[in-house]
Amino acid sequence: MGHCIENPRSSCALGGALALISSINRTIPVLHAGPGCGLQVTAGQLGQSGGKSYGYVGGQGTPSTNMFEREVVFGGVERLRETIDGTLEIMDGDLFFVLTGCTADIIGDDVKSVIDEFKAKGVSIAHAETAGFKGDSYYGYNTAFQAIVSQLVEVTPRDAKMVNLFGIVPAQDIFWEGNFEEIIRILNKLGLKVNSFCKEQQGLQEIKKSSGAALNIMLSPWLGQEFLAEYKEKYGVGTFRYPGLPVGPTATSDFIRKLAEYMDLDKALVEKVIAEEENYVYSYLEKIIGSFTRYRFVIVGDANTVLGLTRFLVNDFGRIPLAAVITEDVPPEYRDGIVDELTHLEYARPPKVVFESDKWKISEWIRTYKDDAALILGSDYEKEIGNELDIVTVVVSFPTTEKLIINRGYAGYRGCLTFIEDLYDNN
Amino acid sequence: MTSTIARNREDRPFALTGGGGCGKELADKFKKRCLKNADRTFAQASQCQQINSIQAFISMEDAVFIIHSPVGCSGCVSFMNDLFKVGQYHRGLTSIRSARYLITNLDELDIIQGGEEKLRQAVLELEQRYHPKLIFIFTSCASAIIGDDVDSIAGELQNQVGAVIVPIHCEGFKSKVPATGFDTAFNALVKYVFKNEKPEREKGLINVFAPMAIGWKDQQEIERMLGVLGLKVNYFPFYSNLDKLKKIPAAEYSTSICQVFADEFMELLKRDYGIPYSKTGMPLGIRNTDEWLLGVARLVGKEEVAREYIREQHERVLPEIAKIKSRIQGKKVFICAGTARSFAAATLIDDFGLKLVGMQTPTYEEMLIEDFDKLIELHGDEFIVDVANMQPYEQANLVQRLTPDLFIGVSSWVAKQGITSTHVLETKRPTMGYNGILYLGNKIEDVIENPGFNEKLAKHKKLPYKESWYSESPFKFHKEAGD
Repeated sequence: MGHCIENPRSSCALGGALALISSINRTIPVLHAGPGCGLQVTAGQLGQSGGKSYGYVGGQGTPSTNMFEREVVFGGVERLRETIDGTLEIMDGDLFFVLTGCTADIIGDDVKSVIDEFKAKGVSIAHAETAGFKGDSYYGYNTAFQAIVSQLVEVTPRDAKMVNLFGIVPAQDIFWEGNFEEIIRILNKLGLKVNSFCKEQQGLQEIKKSSGAALNIMLSPWLGQEFLAEYKEKYGVGTFRYPGLPVGPTATSDFIRKLAEYMDLDKALVEKVIAEEENYVYSYLEKIIGSFTRYRFVIVGDANTVLGLTRFLVNDFGRIPLAAVITEDVPPEYRDGIVDELTHLEYARPPKVVFESDKWKISEWIRTYKDDAALILGSDYEKEIGNELDIVTVVVSFPTTEKLIINRGYAGYRGCLTFIEDLYDNN
Repeated sequence: MTSTIARNREDRPFALTGGGGCGKELADKFKKRCLKNADRTFAQASQCQQINSIQAFISMEDAVFIIHSPVGCSGCVSFMNDLFKVGQYHRGLTSIRSARYLITNLDELDIIQGGEEKLRQAVLELEQRYHPKLIFIFTSCASAIIGDDVDSIAGELQNQVGAVIVPIHCEGFKSKVPATGFDTAFNALVKYVFKNEKPEREKGLINVFAPMAIGWKDQQEIERMLGVLGLKVNYFPFYSNLDKLKKIPAAEYSTSICQVFADEFMELLKRDYGIPYSKTGMPLGIRNTDEWLLGVARLVGKEEVAREYIREQHERVLPEIAKIKSRIQGKKVFICAGTARSFAAATLIDDFGLKLVGMQTPTYEEMLIEDFDKLIELHGDEFIVDVANMQPYEQANLVQRLTPDLFIGVSSWVAKQGITSTHVLETKRPTMGYNGILYLGNKIEDVIENPGFNEKLAKHKKLPYKESWYSESPFKFHKEAGD
């Protein structure tokens, strides 16, 4: 970890954590961080994730200690205390969540003691150490959920039809809202209640009772190992991990069938849902036969996007994968699993897989495919090399400031149709 | 005049970063120089100077940028990079590219052992990739607290690379005023690029300093107006380069489109290179544009030419403005924008007969006293001023109290209060000079004519504040600095 990166593809731990916390209903983040951190990480995270800003609270509206020279020298604990006091006085929320930045964590402010003081007064408050130097947005996502499980979840009776859904990272997955909506729709159709924590106005109550879920569903090949272990250890909630986003009929039906095994769902219902949904997708696919001619593609993005779209394009859509670049800092122990998943597709040759986030290196890598590739799937950054090599480039991954993305997504059955619409090129 | 040169902008004469009250009371205190700066015991996220330093140069075409920090500190580059790309599009370029910025991605180990080696690698790597003319290095809170010796690395590597290396010490915790970041950036130029060399004076050349948020249409309008005075423009920084940079000390005059952006720099150029400058408000609206152009004209001794041009332009646009005015005059306005733009907007609205009831501005200082007097002349002395770096909670409270008919500024918050809104900052459309005024006037009229979006939104969505907050003083959390 920690290499220099040209044109980075995530924010820092604080950015990832702030995007998650501000997506939890009526949860007020409080930053114990430098004066520019709130703006920097909001611009870096939400600002590059398809043009949407936060909803209820976030960005420059986030309470912040804005640590200046005085706090750097003398410590910022008192500043944090008065900031939380002010927050409680004027901000209307159910849960308050302190996130620390580099300055607080380097000078070693004892944030936990301050949080404990407020907890003792009955305030719903938690905190996470999310200094930017500790990692990227994914690190922030993991760390914030770790804090949620350790500090907020309460023992609740088991509900066999309730699941917790993880792995779609707010504002890091540029289609996160639409992707959530489609997966939730499918799970609901299977008769399941879903705790997503960041959709459908879910908040503190769903967090507290998440210990009663029958299962954690983790849609990522590597995220959340530690907080999922804590769910298991403290509350006996196991995890069904699906490597990446299920996109398109083959993967989504595979996801559902595997989930059904974990949860002992009614087989007849499962097959009925699959039949209906697949029929829905194919009723449209039959209407676009012959609309696409570009076959060989290079894809650049986070593991979830690369896995999801590559599986769909190869297993359902007849394309040829040349190369796949995974851009986030996946811990080494999970990399083989991702390569393995991309190597065992139903059809075609396996793509060459690399892990890289530096824009220049990725562009140079793409250049080696200039005679073969007919399509580049990537972020805004890849448009530059696509333009240079005259290869059609479609933006599917973080960052993008060129698209406005409201509630569309690529996940599940319906998402693959949205993806195909974006893939279309009339030139 | 009072020299503006200071270490940080909060150290300038009578500078404020927090404070508030009504115009009458403030004017009095400003004049007696007895208004105390206020800290806040509660605040929301603000902007830091690093953002401004990066923004000062990121649109240069032959430079590369190293942000010596963890990955989050490049966040605001996202919107700057977007402006940079849109700027290329507006200039008719087809191979549109991102700014070349590299983050050293300081991690936990670097925090303990220092990140100097990575910075060294970053410089060499960028040199090899792009053979740039300039390599800017921006420090961060993290790199400054751990004490990385950025200057030494820059000095040491200068012999190994073809680019001019310019380190900029813009760590966010060092100044409460984001605009200090502009000074920090320009001071580094003086030290590392100009190096006291005195190039030969170029007749009729004027430096025009403008933050990158000024769009291409506005740049063209500015250059056109200066062309009327027979001046040749060295525009900085959008799509500028090392050659143009080196020409700065050769210019005969300087001016700026945003007096906050380069006021200290222009003062330095005057002191060290004998380049006189004009410093007036942003050329937004009739009155501001007149004054801006006359300011330059007086400097170059062409006041009559300017007056003639202004007469022509007035003849063309005043009838149009009068039409708009007749439809919207008397409406109450609240303004929230950067220092220069908020003062400019407060004057601009008078062109349309609109009344100022309140404004939020990030800083206030001695040099703005005249502007402030002018506002009182135009709008009376009842309007409220809140000196605040962002702080939307104070804005929400003020807006609720003052019930403006129109809000000018970032509308993220007032929209949920049902107040119709627009901005005079538009990076992609023409807003300045005599053409810009009509664009802005139409826009303002449009949102007054149809406030539907915000009104309906407010019925469904609320701001994250308790009801009780709206009955408190908006300045409740101010405490005099030092208390």
